[in-house]
Amino acid sequence: MLTAILLSGLAVGAVYALIGVTYNVMFSASRVMSFTAGQLGMLGGVLGAAFIGVLGLPAIAGFVLTLAACAAIGVLTEIIAVRPVLKSLEQHLYVLSTLALALMIQQFTAITWSTEPQPFPSLFGLQGGGVGDEKFWLPILACAAVVVGLEFLYRRTLIGRAFLAIAEDNFAARALGLPERNLRMASYALAGVIGGLAGFASGQLFLAFFANGAMLNFLGFVPVALGGLGNNRGAIIGGLALGIFQQSANFLFGGVFASVAVFSVFIIVLLLAPQGLFGAPAQRRV
Amino acid sequence: MTITRRGLTLGGAGLATASSLGLATPALAQSEPIRIGWLAALTGPSSAPAIGFDRGVRHAVDTINANGGVRGRRLELLVRDTQGDPTKAVNAAQEMISRARVHAIWGPTNSGESLATTPIMARARMPNVHPCFVDSLIDPARYPNAFRMAPSNSQIDDAVSKYGVEILKLKKFAVIGDTTGYGTTTVNSSSASIARHGGEVVYRATIDATQPDLTPDMLRMRNAGAEAIAVWTVSPGLISRLMNTRANMGWDVPLVGHPAMGNGEVGQLIAKPENWQKTYILGFKNCSYGADGKLPNHVQAFVDSVRGKINLEDTTLWWVALGVDAINMIAKAVQESGGTDAAGIIGYWNTVQNWPGLYASYAWSPTNHNGLPDGDLVMSEANSLRQGAYRLAPGYV
Repeated sequence: MLTAILLSGLAVGAVYALIGVTYNVMFSASRVMSFTAGQLGMLGGVLGAAFIGVLGLPAIAGFVLTLAACAAIGVLTEIIAVRPVLKSLEQHLYVLSTLALALMIQQFTAITWSTEPQPFPSLFGLQGGGVGDEKFWLPILACAAVVVGLEFLYRRTLIGRAFLAIAEDNFAARALGLPERNLRMASYALAGVIGGLAGFASGQLFLAFFANGAMLNFLGFVPVALGGLGNNRGAIIGGLALGIFQQSANFLFGGVFASVAVFSVFIIVLLLAPQGLFGAPAQRRV
Repeated sequence: MTITRRGLTLGGAGLATASSLGLATPALAQSEPIRIGWLAALTGPSSAPAIGFDRGVRHAVDTINANGGVRGRRLELLVRDTQGDPTKAVNAAQEMISRARVHAIWGPTNSGESLATTPIMARARMPNVHPCFVDSLIDPARYPNAFRMAPSNSQIDDAVSKYGVEILKLKKFAVIGDTTGYGTTTVNSSSASIARHGGEVVYRATIDATQPDLTPDMLRMRNAGAEAIAVWTVSPGLISRLMNTRANMGWDVPLVGHPAMGNGEVGQLIAKPENWQKTYILGFKNCSYGADGKLPNHVQAFVDSVRGKINLEDTTLWWVALGVDAINMIAKAVQESGGTDAAGIIGYWNTVQNWPGLYASYAWSPTNHNGLPDGDLVMSEANSLRQGAYRLAPGYV
C-alpha cells in the first residue's frame, strides 16, 4: 500500500515539478508567468500519442518530433503572448495574453484531436502496475534528467550562464552585450522542451487528453508557489511533495476531500512563508 | 350584374376576415404536413446519443413518408442542433413552438437541456416525448404534455442494485461516481437503492475524472470489503483506469453500472482486453443478444432490414431503435387521434399500453408518464458490443 502511494505520488509529483520548472524557466527570462506551461505538458502527451500511436512513427522519432514541436510552441508563446506586453509588465497584461493563448491551444487540440482521452502507446512494453511499470518511472526519470541537464546547462555552459545573467538583471546583461531577445526566445524554447518532456513521459499516466492542460496549469503552479518563484530546486521538491501528499490524501480521505486537504496545506504554507519555502524575501531597493 | 369598386372591396374584406377567423383552416389542416420538432445535440461533447437517435429518426420519417404518410399527410422534420447547451435548446424549443408551429417535439436528448425546456413546452401544451433520465422531468400534474420513452434514474439504480444483490448474490458494494453533478447525485441515489434491496454500501466516493492513478481509491474499496463496485460516470478515462488498476491489483471484483463502461473508447484505453471482463452495464432486453446470439425477432428483423442503410457499428442499437420508436409514436398518435391537435395526441399517449416498440414495450397512463416497464431493463456484458448491441450478462441466460 505504502509502495503504491509513494510510487504514484512520486510519478505525478515529478510531472507537477517539471511543469513548475517550465513556469520558472519562462519566468526567469522574461519576468512573466506564462499560463501556457500546462498546455505544453498537455501537448507533450497529445503529440506523442499522435506521432507514435496514430502515425506509427518509431518511439524515438516521435519523442524528438514532440519535443521539437513543443519548443516551437514555446517560441511562439514568446512572440505572440509575451513580447508585446513586456513593456508594461506592471499592468500584468501577460496574465490575459498567455491565458488567451493557452485557451486557444486547448480548444484547437479539442477540435483537432478529440474531446475524450486517447491512449498513449507503451514505449518499452513494461506495464502491469508496480515498481516496474513504465508509466510510473518514466516521469521520475524525466524529472531526474531535467534536474541534471539544467544543472549542467546553468553551471557548465556559456549559454547557461547567459540565461542566468538575463534572469539576474536583464538591463545589466544587455549592457554587457548579451542578445537578450534571442536568449529569451531560447529560454521559451527550453521551457517548451521541458513541458513537452513532462507530457510525453506522463502520457501513459494522464492519457492524451486535451483537458490535462488546465489541470497541469493549476497543479504545476503549486510547486512554483511552494518552492519560491524562479527557484527550480524549490519547484522540484515542492512538486514531489505535492504529488506524495495528494496521493496520501487520496488514500486517507478520498478524491474530492483530497483536493481540499491539498489546497488547505498549500494556503497554510503560503500564510507562514509568503515567499515560498525556498524563496528569499523580496529586497526593496532604496 | 355589375361589379362596383365598393362591392369588390367589401367582398375582399369579407374573404380576408373569414380566413383570419379560421373558416378556411380545416381544409388546410387536413393537407398540411405533420411537423415534428427534433431537438438534437448533434455536435459537442454529448453528441453521441443524438447522432444515434438521428439515424433512427430519419429512417422512420422516410419509411412513413414512402408509405404515403399518416392519413395522407407527410411527416416534416424540423431539426435544431442544440449542441447540448440548455440555452440553445430553450431558444430552439421556443422557435419550434412559436414560429415553426410544430405539432410535437422529440427531445432534447440530455437531462440538462430537458430541465430547461420542459416547463416551456408545458406552458405551450406541446406534446413532447424525450429520452432523458432525471426523475423530476416527468410529473403528469405539472407537465401533462411530457412523456418519457427511456428509463428514469430510479429505474436504472434499481436495475443495477437488483442485479448485484439478487442475481450476483453479492452483499457489500462500493459506489463511486465522477465529481460532476450527475456523478454526485447518482452515487447518493444508487447507494439508497442498494440499501433498499438489502445490500450494504461499504464505501462511497466521488473521484475526479482526470485523477491519473486510482490505486489509493481502489485499495480503500478493497480494504472496506467491497464485493462489487457500482460505477457512475461517462468518462472513458476514469472507467479504463478503474479497469486497469483492478487488473494490476489482481482483484477480480465485478464492476456494475453505467452503460458508458461498454463504449468503444474504453476498449482503446484499457491495457489488455481481459481487463474489460466482469463488467456489467445497464442494457435493454429488446436490444440485447440472448444465449442464441440473437436479438428478439422483431428487433432482429429491423436490424436485418437496415443492414447497409444504417451504420450500427459506431453507435448503439438502442439509440437508433428509440429514434425510430419516437417518430412512430408521434405518427401513431396522429393516426389514432385523427389529427394534429395537441390535446388529441396527448390523450392518445395517455392510453398507450404495451405498445410494441423496437426499443421497449411502452406503457403510459394519465398518472404515469414513465413509459419503460422495469422488466425491459437488464444488464449486459460491457465487452460484448456487436452491431450496436450487447450480450445479456450472466444470470439472465
